[in-house]
Amino acid sequence: MTRRELLAVLGTAPGWDRPSAGRAVAPVAIARARSYDDGLEGVLGTLFDQLGGLGRLVRGKTVTIKLNLTGSPGLRFQGRPVGVTHYTHPKVVGVVAHLLGRAGARRIRFVESCWGTGGPLEEYLLEAGWNVRALATAAPNVEFENTNSLGRGKRYARLKVPGGGRVYPAYDLNRAYEATDVFVSLAKLKEHGTCGVTLALKNVFGITPASIYGDDAGRDEPNENPTKGRQAILHEGRRQPSASAPQELDPASRREAGYRVPRIVAELAAARPIKLAIIDGVETVAGGEGPWLEGLRLVQPGLLIAGTNPVSTDAVATAAMGYDPSAGRGQAPFRECDNTLKLAEALGVGSADLGRLEVRGLSLKQARYPFAS
Amino acid sequence: MGETMLVALLLLAGIPDWAPARWASADPQSLELLEGTPVNCLLLEPASWSAEFAARAAARGVATLGVVRPAGNPLEAARRAVRHGLGGVVLEGEFDPGLAEGIRRLLAAEKRVAVELPPRRLMRLNGSVPVVGTCQGLWAGIQVVEGGAVKARPTGGPWIDTNSGFLRFVKAATDAPIWLGHLPPAKTVLPVERYLHAISDAAMLGARWIVALDEDFSRRLLAREERALADWRRIGAHLAFYQQHQEWRALKPFSRLAVVEDAAGTGLLSRGILDMFGGRNIPVRPVPVAALSAAALKGARMAVAVDATALTEAQREALQAVARAGGTLLTGPPGWKFSPPKGDQITLGSGELERITDVWQGINSVVGRGNFGARLFNVSGLLSSLLGDAEGGRIVLHLVNYTDYAVESVTVHLAGAYQRARLYAPERPPRDLELYPVEGRRAVDIDRVGICAVLVID
Repeated sequence: MTRRELLAVLGTAPGWDRPSAGRAVAPVAIARARSYDDGLEGVLGTLFDQLGGLGRLVRGKTVTIKLNLTGSPGLRFQGRPVGVTHYTHPKVVGVVAHLLGRAGARRIRFVESCWGTGGPLEEYLLEAGWNVRALATAAPNVEFENTNSLGRGKRYARLKVPGGGRVYPAYDLNRAYEATDVFVSLAKLKEHGTCGVTLALKNVFGITPASIYGDDAGRDEPNENPTKGRQAILHEGRRQPSASAPQELDPASRREAGYRVPRIVAELAAARPIKLAIIDGVETVAGGEGPWLEGLRLVQPGLLIAGTNPVSTDAVATAAMGYDPSAGRGQAPFRECDNTLKLAEALGVGSADLGRLEVRGLSLKQARYPFAS
Repeated sequence: MGETMLVALLLLAGIPDWAPARWASADPQSLELLEGTPVNCLLLEPASWSAEFAARAAARGVATLGVVRPAGNPLEAARRAVRHGLGGVVLEGEFDPGLAEGIRRLLAAEKRVAVELPPRRLMRLNGSVPVVGTCQGLWAGIQVVEGGAVKARPTGGPWIDTNSGFLRFVKAATDAPIWLGHLPPAKTVLPVERYLHAISDAAMLGARWIVALDEDFSRRLLAREERALADWRRIGAHLAFYQQHQEWRALKPFSRLAVVEDAAGTGLLSRGILDMFGGRNIPVRPVPVAALSAAALKGARMAVAVDATALTEAQREALQAVARAGGTLLTGPPGWKFSPPKGDQITLGSGELERITDVWQGINSVVGRGNFGARLFNVSGLLSSLLGDAEGGRIVLHLVNYTDYAVESVTVHLAGAYQRARLYAPERPPRDLELYPVEGRRAVDIDRVGICAVLVID
């Protein structure tokens, strides 16, 4: 049992309303990278060194990297490769894997719950135009797992929300999220139609398997061949997850995505702690998280941001995007939603208080790239 | 035998190699524009018929065909074309059958060629014509809806208007040369890439789009404006790319997935089930009902017969044999029957599209990740065509990129123990590509696809 689980059982885990003031705050590092060919290995190496180095974090350990591959890889914005619009760029992924391997990681496992499929992650990556052969050899013992279903595992792992949760008490996830020592969220710097921003925290929304939480999830048991997204259950609360998984605590609570999704994300980040948050903001899109939204536009912030705490890292990234990370509902970028960062902070995941954060590398002033049009 | 007749006979023999284009000039000097292009057959409107032009064209080895339409006195028009020394006529549109027969007889007597471009529903697939053609087609390209947005298909990629599904059926049904005579959209100035798409959209099934330039382009070309000349040279190079590889044209659609279609049903329509498979870049082998037999289904691991009402008992038995041999047989709900295409219809009607979309969901889930010859990855905005001989010893994979960008990092998983892969692209030397093992099969990576590329695999 982990310390967090023990605290949860004892009823002393941080709760929704309990801020984490007074704790030590992990630093966040920002680096400039004008393009994906701009010496990424050196840039990312320096970035991680500014956080104290990867070795102490990953040596001899299994590292699981949650990528951000939102939406079907066939859906392109203006025909561009998905890595320069709304997916984590494969070059960033390859260099991160290489550096983790060099730092002594025992195993590196890439994970994502691939949109609309339970097929192999490798094929999904090929659909996105990634060189899977190169990625597989970027470090020793590289594995791939599509966590949209059971995958290679024999059972789902049940990860409990510390404090018991407000939406769900626990989540049933692919076993890859349990069988890991270091969980990395490798996200993209983007705004989000539902949550205001989608960064290292929001990236973990994609760890939920559509087999249980998807629109075509089985009623009683998981559907191991999911083909749809996750609107009905997690976004809108129109139905419950498969009965095999923990059910909603209060089905009478608000059925509104701007209320539900930020809370679910915060719960997931508490249940499956992120040890390293990396945000790819070299090239991305502004105006939303993917090409299914109107008003999207290409932007080149030229930024890479990393930290060992996802709330702090997201706070810095949100500020770099020109927004106030402590803004409340109704204020940009959280115009129609609650602030995921504050919710995660209330769960004790980390601090979103810019005044308490130490930024290394580029200053926030130097990194500022306003996303608002 | 007169000189004109001799020329006409020689031209007849060369029909399979004709690269046709509509030509808006009777000026013999305009023939110089054909230099460096494979265009060797010109379709001329009556206003451009001229004995001098025809003679000068023939001297350059270029066939001339007069376009005759049903309006007015088509028989007299055909006689006039002969009098002008043209190599034959193109009957474009829907003719009274008796009248068309009369024109055919006239031209046969004059040893001239009659190429027919009827509506799709009247295409003659029975081997009785030198060219199987139609005047109807979709203008190939990514479908853009209001506001410049791209319409997506359910798999997330853009929906591409294409003739390739329909041509797949025609290619399976005939060995004759196939011509598509549709025009570019009216009152639209098009970038040259759209013409290249139209050429490749047909050529990936061994067919030919009759090159037809928009009015503005044609005017500028005949005036020898520099930009128009450069675009015309690109079109010429693109045509030459396919012209240089006649061997590809002879191949038939290759796949372990057979789709039974009927010309009287949806086989001659676009946006039907063959285009749905095409949209997912799943290779299919259309089997026309008229040719459905055990031999036609040889090697099939899956057979789809959505409209099975017209099948004979022996044909049903041939389909059942696929299932008995361990394959999968998918049929539409009992009693399903598609109505024959009507009037100018070339796409599935909205009611039938709804019905077929329902069935498609089921087919799609059964097909899943199956590899029926080749599985393609990162091909959003691309369509493909897998051709081969019956045994699949050599297969040819055509790729056409309809986007405004070169597509990078395409991966192909092959369902066979192939030893060699060579990539061809217009204006680039062929390159051997590395074949590597993946899950007991072979795979190949293509770094870049411009407008088109062709992978030849042995």
